[in-house]
Amino acid sequence: MISKDLSIDFLGVRFENPFCLSSSPVGNCYDMCAKAYDLGWGGVVFKTIGPAHFLIDEVSPRFDALTKEGTPFIGFKNMEQIAEHSLQENLADLRKLKEHYPDKVLIASIMGSNEKDWTELAGLVEEAGADMIEMNLSCPQMTSHAMGSDVGANPELCRAFCEAVKRGSRLPLMAKMTPNITDMVPVARACLAGGADGIAAINTIKSIVNLDLNRKVGLPIINGKSSISGYSGKAVKPVALRFIQQLRSGEGLSQLPISGIGGIETWEDAAEFILLGASTLQVTTAVMQYGYRIVEDLKNGLMHYMEEQGVDRLEDLVGLANASMVPAESLDRDYIVYPRLDEERCIGCGRCYISCYDGAHQALEWNEETRRPSCNTEKCVGCHLCVLICPVGALSKGDVVMKPGRKGKAEDKSI
Amino acid sequence: MTTAYEEKISPEYTMSTVMEEAQRCLLCHDAPCSKACPAGTDPARFIRSVRFRNFKGAAEIVRENNSLGGVCAHVCPTERYCQAGCSRCGIDRPIDIGGIQRFVTDMERRLQMEILRPGAPNGRHVAVVGAGPAGLEAAASLRRLGYEITVFEKRERPGGYLRYGIPAYRLPDEVVDADVAAIERLGVRFRCGVTVGTDVTMESLKAEYDAVLVATGAGEGKTLPLFDGDSRVETAVAFLARVRGNKGRGESIPDHALVVGGGDVAMDAATTLKKLGVRRVTDVAYEEFCEFLASAQELEGARNAGVTIIDGYIPVAVEGKAVVFRHRHIDAELRLAADKIILAVGQKADAAGLGLAMNGNEAQSRDYRTADEKIFVAGDIAPGDKTVVWAVRKGREAARAIHSSLEERRSR
Repeated sequence: MISKDLSIDFLGVRFENPFCLSSSPVGNCYDMCAKAYDLGWGGVVFKTIGPAHFLIDEVSPRFDALTKEGTPFIGFKNMEQIAEHSLQENLADLRKLKEHYPDKVLIASIMGSNEKDWTELAGLVEEAGADMIEMNLSCPQMTSHAMGSDVGANPELCRAFCEAVKRGSRLPLMAKMTPNITDMVPVARACLAGGADGIAAINTIKSIVNLDLNRKVGLPIINGKSSISGYSGKAVKPVALRFIQQLRSGEGLSQLPISGIGGIETWEDAAEFILLGASTLQVTTAVMQYGYRIVEDLKNGLMHYMEEQGVDRLEDLVGLANASMVPAESLDRDYIVYPRLDEERCIGCGRCYISCYDGAHQALEWNEETRRPSCNTEKCVGCHLCVLICPVGALSKGDVVMKPGRKGKAEDKSI
Repeated sequence: MTTAYEEKISPEYTMSTVMEEAQRCLLCHDAPCSKACPAGTDPARFIRSVRFRNFKGAAEIVRENNSLGGVCAHVCPTERYCQAGCSRCGIDRPIDIGGIQRFVTDMERRLQMEILRPGAPNGRHVAVVGAGPAGLEAAASLRRLGYEITVFEKRERPGGYLRYGIPAYRLPDEVVDADVAAIERLGVRFRCGVTVGTDVTMESLKAEYDAVLVATGAGEGKTLPLFDGDSRVETAVAFLARVRGNKGRGESIPDHALVVGGGDVAMDAATTLKKLGVRRVTDVAYEEFCEFLASAQELEGARNAGVTIIDGYIPVAVEGKAVVFRHRHIDAELRLAADKIILAVGQKADAAGLGLAMNGNEAQSRDYRTADEKIFVAGDIAPGDKTVVWAVRKGREAARAIHSSLEERRSR
C-alpha cells in the first residue's frame, strides 16, 4: 500500500494529515474524537463550546436530506446548534484528548455572545490543551441573534470578537465564515485585522430542503412547524470552492491560510479544496453518513494523487489552481470546440438530441434509421450540453475552430 | 483474431457503470460479504474505496489480500460466498462483487501498478511443488515474509488449473499472465518443466530447502470402468487443457457430444463444446438440480450456450453408439447416442512419487503440516473445498503454517 507523507503546517501547527473533523455533531465528546484519531484523522475541531450561561436546548427531529434518484444525501440539513454538554464537561474532554493524543491536532471551536464570553472561552480552551482556536461566527441556526451567522455577516462585530479572543489566548486563531453573505472578503479582512491568523470556510448555507406536501410544513416537522437552517454535504461543495477562490483572489490575500470545508467526501474533493488554497480540510456530513472510516480512502487517494503529480510535499499543491480562475470578461471567446461522436460507443438513446433541441441550439440532427446523432456545425455553438448528457461518454471534445474574423490559431488553444 | 471459444462471457464495467454498481453497496457495518470470502479478499473494503473513487486504493486492497485477485475476480463462484452474504439481498439483489473486482484488477493491470513488495530477506528458502493457485498464493505470501522461494512445476508454464483447466472465455490468458507475472516480479523463481519425484527427488529438496510445500493438486480426471477402451471417451480435464492450449483451433467437431458430470468442470466442458461449434451437447448429471454441484453462474452459462442438461441419471451401460442411463430415484431410462463422450466425474490427486501418506485424494496432514516436519501440503490435497478461492486460502494458511513452524524450529 502506498505510503506518503501527508503532513502539512497550518498556522504554525503541524498536522500529520490535513483531514479534520469539523466542529459539528461528529466531534461532540471524547469517545467520538478518540475513535476518529484512532482511524487516522489528523485533527479534530471539537464541537463548538459556548459560554456556561447559554443553554442549549435542541429540537427533535433535527435533520433532513435532499436525495435524487438513487443517491442519498446530495445535501443535508441540520438544526443542531453548538455542543450541548456543559462547559466543564467539554473542557474535561479537551484535556483528556490532548493527554491521550498529544501528536494529533486538537482545535477548539468557541462561540460567545459578547466580548467577555469570547475572551474567557479562549483562555479556558487554551488552558485545557487546545492547539488552535476556531471562532464559530457562522452557525445559521442559533436561538440567539448575538451568536452565529448573524455575527458572521457583520465585519465590525467579527473584528471586535477576534480581538477579544486574542486578549484571552495566544493560540493560532481561525475565524469560520458564513456563506450566507454576498462577499466574504470584507468579513475575512475584518477578522484578520482583529487578529485572526487564518480563515475556515464555509459553514452551512441557510436552507429549506423539503416540505411535507400534505401537511404543508417544511421538514423536519417540530410540532407542526419548521425553521430555516444550515445545508451541507456534496451539494454545497461548488459554493464552498467559489468562496475559497474569492478569498484568495482578494488583494493581498493570495497566500491566505485556509481550512477548507464544504461537501468533502472523496480524495478528489479534498484535492480540489487544496488546489484552490486550503491547507487543511474539515468534514462532517460525509462522516455522519458513512462514518470516520472514510478517512482511509481520503488519505490513500490523496497519496496516489500526489504520486501521480510527482509531488512529495502536500503544501506544494496548495493554491495551484487559483491563478486559473479569472473574471468572465478575461476568458478567450475566440473559438468553438465542436463535439465529436464515437460511433462505437454510442448506444442510440437520443438523449443528446433531446437536450440539444430543447436546451441548446438544435444543432444535433437525428437519423431515425441508424439512431445516431450528427452535428450541424452551422448551428452548433460548442456548448457541450450533449457531452455532459451522454450516458456512455460517446461525445467528447472534437474539432476546434476559430470564430470568423478572430486572430490566433485553433491549435494553440488549450481546450 | 479471437475464436468464439476465447470470447469473454462477463461484460466489463466502465467507470460510470462500476460507480452505479458500487453505489448500490450499503457499506455495511461488520460487512457480511467480507466475512464470507474464503480468501479474505475483503470485498467490503475495496468496494468502499471504489465508492469513494479511490480506485488505486481498491486495487491495493484486493492485491494485498489476495495475490490472485485478478484470477479470483473472474472465476470465483461469488454467489456461494461474498454475494450470498450481501445485505443488499434484503432489498433486491446482491452487489456484483466479482464484476467490481474485475474492474479494479483490470484497471490495476492497465496502469501496471506494482503493489506487492517482498519482505526483508530472512535467509530461509522454501521449495513449492506445483504452480497452481495454492502454490502461487503460498509462494507470494512467503516471499512477502522475506523467504526465498523456488516453485517447481511439471508443466511448461505456471498456473496449474488456471492455465490448463478453466476455459479461456471464463479466464483469459492475460489475467493469469498478469497475476503470475506480479508474483514473479516479487522475486519468486519458477522452475517449469521439472517433475518432482522424477527429475528431482523429494529427498534432495528436503536437503536443499528449509521447507517443502506440496501443492500438486488433483489434476488427473477420473474415469468410469463402463467406458474403458472406448475411443470416444476423454476426461474433461484432458479435453479442457488441450482446447485451452490450441484456443479451440483444429478440434474435430462431433455431431452429438455427451458430457457426464454435474460440477463446474462438467459445465466448462459442455459450454466449451458448444463454443467449438458442436450442434448438440447433452450433459447428464448424477445430482438433481436441487443438489447441483456446479455454481449457478456456470449452470446458467452452459444453458445460455445451448447445452441440454439432464439431472439425476447414472450411466449404466454402453450399447453400440448409445449410452444407457438410469434415474437414481425414479423408474426411468435414458438412451443417448454420442460421437464424443467427456467424463467430468471427479479428479484424482497428483502426488505420486512424493512419498506422501495419502487418505484417498488428500494427504495426511494437520493444519497443513505432515508427519515430516519439513513437508507441508496445500491446495486440493489438503482438506477443504476444491475451488480456486479455497486454494488461495489454503495457500496463504499453509504459508503461515510454514512460517510459524520455521520460527518454532529456530527458537528450539
